[in-house]
Amino acid sequence: MYWLEKDQVVKLTGKLARDYALFGPRRDEVSGQVIFDRLDEPGRLDLQAAIPYNPPKFVLFPHYEEILKYRYQKQTRKVTIEKIDKLQPKALVGLRSCDLTGILCLDRFFLGQEFVDEFYLEHRKKLFLISSTCVRPFPQCFCVCTDSGPAAREGFDLDLTFTGEGYLVLVGSKKGQKLVEELQLKTAGPEAAALRKKMVDESVSSFDSFALENKAWISRATNRLTTGFVKPEVWEYIGHQCFECGACSFVCPTCSCFNVEDVNDNDGHTDRVRTWDSCSFEGYTRMAGDHNPRKPVEDRRNKRFFCKLSYSQSKKYLRPGCVGCGRCARVCPGDIGLPNVVTYIRREVTGE
Amino acid sequence: MSYHRGICNFCGTGCGHLLLVENNRARGVYPLPGHPLSRGRLCVRGWHIHELLQTDERIIRPMVREGETFRTVSYQEAIDYTARELKKFSGREVAFLGSPRASNEENYLFGKFARAVMKSNNISLSSDAGLEESARVLLEGCGWPAMTGSLSGLRQADFILVLGGDLTRQNPIIASEIHFARRAGAFLVTISPRKTQMARLSRIHLRPRPGTLSMLLLAMARVLADEDLIDRESLAGLVENWQAYSEYLDSVDRDEIFRLTGVEEKEVISLARKLTAAKSAFAFYPVGIQSLDRQSMAALFNLFLLAGKVGRPGCGLCPLTGISNLLGSLDMGLSPSFLPGYFPADREGSWKRLEELWPVRLERWPGKNAAACLLEDNPVKALLVVDHDEEIIRNLNRIKKLELVVYFGAYQNAFSRLAKVIFPRTTYIEGDGTYTNSERRVQLSQKKVDPPGEVRPLWEILSRLAGSLGHDWNYRSAEDIMSEISRVVPQYAGLSHLKLKDRLGIKWPADERHPEGTDCLLAEEASQKFRFVLDDRESSDRPRQSSPGQEFPFQLVIGRSNYFWHQNSIMKRTFIPRREYNALLLLYPKGFVEVSEEDARALGLREKQTVKIISEKAEVRLAVRISPDILPGMLYIPYFVDDMIPEFLHRQVAELEKYEEFFLPVRLEKVA
Amino acid sequence: MENKLVPIITVPEAATVTEIRDEIDEVKTFFFTFDRPEIEEAFRIRSGQFIMGTVFGAGEFAVSLPFSPESDRKHISVRRVGKVTAALHELQPGDKIGIRGPFGNGFPFEEIKGKNMVYVAGGIGLIPLRSSIVHVLQHRQEFGRVILVYGARSSKDLMYKESIRDWKATSGFETYFTIDRPEPGWNGEVGFVNQLVARIDLPVENTVAFVCGPPVMFNSVIKELKIKGIKEQNIYSTLERHMKCGIGKCQHCAIGRTLVCVDGPVYTYKQIKTLGEQI
Repeated sequence: MYWLEKDQVVKLTGKLARDYALFGPRRDEVSGQVIFDRLDEPGRLDLQAAIPYNPPKFVLFPHYEEILKYRYQKQTRKVTIEKIDKLQPKALVGLRSCDLTGILCLDRFFLGQEFVDEFYLEHRKKLFLISSTCVRPFPQCFCVCTDSGPAAREGFDLDLTFTGEGYLVLVGSKKGQKLVEELQLKTAGPEAAALRKKMVDESVSSFDSFALENKAWISRATNRLTTGFVKPEVWEYIGHQCFECGACSFVCPTCSCFNVEDVNDNDGHTDRVRTWDSCSFEGYTRMAGDHNPRKPVEDRRNKRFFCKLSYSQSKKYLRPGCVGCGRCARVCPGDIGLPNVVTYIRREVTGE
Repeated sequence: MSYHRGICNFCGTGCGHLLLVENNRARGVYPLPGHPLSRGRLCVRGWHIHELLQTDERIIRPMVREGETFRTVSYQEAIDYTARELKKFSGREVAFLGSPRASNEENYLFGKFARAVMKSNNISLSSDAGLEESARVLLEGCGWPAMTGSLSGLRQADFILVLGGDLTRQNPIIASEIHFARRAGAFLVTISPRKTQMARLSRIHLRPRPGTLSMLLLAMARVLADEDLIDRESLAGLVENWQAYSEYLDSVDRDEIFRLTGVEEKEVISLARKLTAAKSAFAFYPVGIQSLDRQSMAALFNLFLLAGKVGRPGCGLCPLTGISNLLGSLDMGLSPSFLPGYFPADREGSWKRLEELWPVRLERWPGKNAAACLLEDNPVKALLVVDHDEEIIRNLNRIKKLELVVYFGAYQNAFSRLAKVIFPRTTYIEGDGTYTNSERRVQLSQKKVDPPGEVRPLWEILSRLAGSLGHDWNYRSAEDIMSEISRVVPQYAGLSHLKLKDRLGIKWPADERHPEGTDCLLAEEASQKFRFVLDDRESSDRPRQSSPGQEFPFQLVIGRSNYFWHQNSIMKRTFIPRREYNALLLLYPKGFVEVSEEDARALGLREKQTVKIISEKAEVRLAVRISPDILPGMLYIPYFVDDMIPEFLHRQVAELEKYEEFFLPVRLEKVA
Repeated sequence: MENKLVPIITVPEAATVTEIRDEIDEVKTFFFTFDRPEIEEAFRIRSGQFIMGTVFGAGEFAVSLPFSPESDRKHISVRRVGKVTAALHELQPGDKIGIRGPFGNGFPFEEIKGKNMVYVAGGIGLIPLRSSIVHVLQHRQEFGRVILVYGARSSKDLMYKESIRDWKATSGFETYFTIDRPEPGWNGEVGFVNQLVARIDLPVENTVAFVCGPPVMFNSVIKELKIKGIKEQNIYSTLERHMKCGIGKCQHCAIGRTLVCVDGPVYTYKQIKTLGEQI
């Protein structure tokens, strides 16, 4: 383990900014909101800020992405198609472990299946990832229930833990090792590992009671979901409150459903774009013609929570699809959100 | 690529968002949790606003019609041409149609152009009638033209009444606030003909017989009086005409009302008690395409005043606007009846004041709204329109016959195809401007991307046009215009772009006394004593129409959808909302009419069977959709079905303008 | 017979529409050849697979492949149902389309060699079965009885009339046709497909059935086949879903825990039953 002085953070980001487009949490002055954003000036990085409202998903899996560009001349019947490869390397600094876990889920889904998603791969292979331990959790967090925090275990190039005076630095890759050496960071003392563990343990014990109480209930809910034990009335209750906005999917670090559209531009060429989509929409499964296998809103809600928690879906990620960031609860106009769903399933069992 | 703070420009909620901008284009959107109203939520429309901004249907160059085609010209040529043409008409021969989606600055200037330059008082928004009516009722009752309460306190409310409409579709995020309030313990009551999602989420859903909403509200008031649930002493001090209203209430035939509304008396009594007991009570009603009628608005106001819920903190009457800047547009005086700042057009003093401020001579003659201008026997000869789609459908043939149509817009639409001159204008993310949401919150939206090509903002086009007509306005920015607005519109006195830049909106009135805006109307600060609104006493205690006749036994209601927006010319440019809209239409390609299960059984109707809906003036063919959401004797057609509007609805403009509480009498026939 | 399949995954390959046939109302068949000879040469499919087609300027559509893996002209049969397929129907011979694929699992011929083949189709449900029928008839000696039971709303709605005439020339191809309502000049059966299935003599032992058609027809036919004693694991169908990517990423075609584009589109009825969603 290495040691990074507080004032060396600027050196670290400055160095990264030379080779990478820098992304990290910053505070919006007017709203006070923390946003995971492109940082044109490395100085805007705020490692002490609260958990960003948005996950870093958009860096690898953009909200709106042009994947192909083609031009078809109707007269001459000439067609030219080109793939878009213009991606610059990116460094993500100050990733929460939930969000890093989200990226690992996306990796397994986009890269680890029968087909490799070339567009995701293109983004992914040029990333530098620096995670940051949550030394104090936020009220909506429940990563302790989903085994995805508050500290990262894998997948980072470098990992930072803030001790109050500076940062303990864990190296997770050769790329990370190289950067540590270039920055000439000094080695942390022999007590470093114990210190990091102590900080993580303290963090775990200061989670909100709902997270600590739900710790086992997440796996119980997973079980009931998979085996179909959740009563239709529960889904109906949830369905009535759903405003069908799609927000839960859009803010989820692991949701990766997308839509594909061909968009004609003014100058005669067409962009094939892919855009975020959500299984909570009625038109999502509807086939051209008039057959929709998944029509009632409770069916569609059911599908999303199945995707986040069921065993079969977990197989694709090698872990649950939920990383415990709590964002779906914060953006939901219907006050649904995964923690509430678990609560309803729990109530069904305990009758409280 | 980075996120920029902004506000959503779809409905009158005015949610905060973050727009992801990459290479000068909007590439994504994210909600803004710090926003005091939306608190990090967006609806399905708001989540896809960037898709709309990708469209290739932008208008990039000014154009002048030559026969059947358009010739691309420079802005200067278009301005010279338009100025030359406009000089041919007197003010009375021209009508102005403003856009409730345009900014306050743009609308203010559009109004000034009409009144000060063209000497025309024919200025309107066309979707403003409900809001204007609501403003009149509120002005008369409490001297305050918009939402009397503040949504900030909504989650602490004890009692919430939602009237009409389909709130989770029209203003989803305000509906969400109400849902959260309910979950926190508020007693939520919906009164609507259809079983909407809001109704499902409510503790009580009342469905008075069609046309009897104002009577039901009156009945509640009468129950308050009968059960002695009112504070007569403080009312006498607070209200000017308490005696008159009290006598009126006594004269009401209570039993007859309950018989006509079809609502159970004990239910109304328990509601009346809940309302009085509530420390914090809110009522929501839509203004716009699904607006309440004047009688119901007045009855609602009177009920709340009687219950002591007007002018008290934590209480509010909340008219909800369906379009982003509908309220702001009325604030700016885009109405024949109000000059900027709600100064009534029928008072000499209002004109004198404006003549001193602008300074220019103004005409006093009473203006009319665009629809009225077009419908007369001797219609206007010229029409100037900002970003609009609706009016064209209603009056297509009349507009075709006009000598001059000038269109200021960002996108191609039915209007642009009919225009003689087209001025491309910037979209809301390509310039600075303020927008005022339903709760009077004035928010600054700052420029995030450069406009394509040479496209100019509307304020600049109007300034140059005014210049060509001999009025040297000399505005250099939208900010300049706002500083003038702050002098002309008293509610905006304390506002400037500089001040709004680092705030998430300020609720008007903002003035010296309340530099950070005003949360809600307080009786002790009110400009006048309150009044019960009694002018419609002849009609408010009887049904709005006679009971269904033999010939037209059904009552037809018209509604909204999540995915439909303004003739859909906007939503059609998105991907996901468009797909969702089409998903519904593909199931019912010709549109549908909802029929209750009982009626379907009685008439032997099958799902998706084609039927004819016939009114006195028009008919339309639709597929049957059997629905548990409506009452027997009622039919429901979503407003968004494609040819419904030109083919059927707009033939009954006069009826439609009486809003949601008016039910169109129709009959239903099977098609062989 | 398994060829090595290298699907076109990301960038569509341009192909020229060489001939367009009106099949039935709203359904046209488009013959195509790839513009690049090396692709034309290398493009191999399995019966039951599908492709993602591009109509340039309009978008992509998923469609099952009706032609046989060998000695058959490449074509697709597409019903006009939405914006993209409407644009496809506007094309003229000589116009270009884009092709990605083939995707999906296809029918497991190795497992079913030597068995009786019963094809039951309703309306355009014959399209995804066609490839398999042609293949089986081309290898007629490797299979037992080969039977097609085909129903449509009217005689005008029967697909591939020419092909069927050709197949009938093959010895040992049994066919049964039915239409929903009587029609002048129609000598075949009248009624729904499931009723016909119930009436005719079908082999049960050592038999696999392939069922494809609208959901109501599908369910009623399955019921009849089960009554006859054909086991659920021997009934195959191909499912259709809204699709965007074809490679298991967009998730539009998820049914329960499977994705139709990579796990399907061919499923046994036994599998379909356990998917946990309506089909």
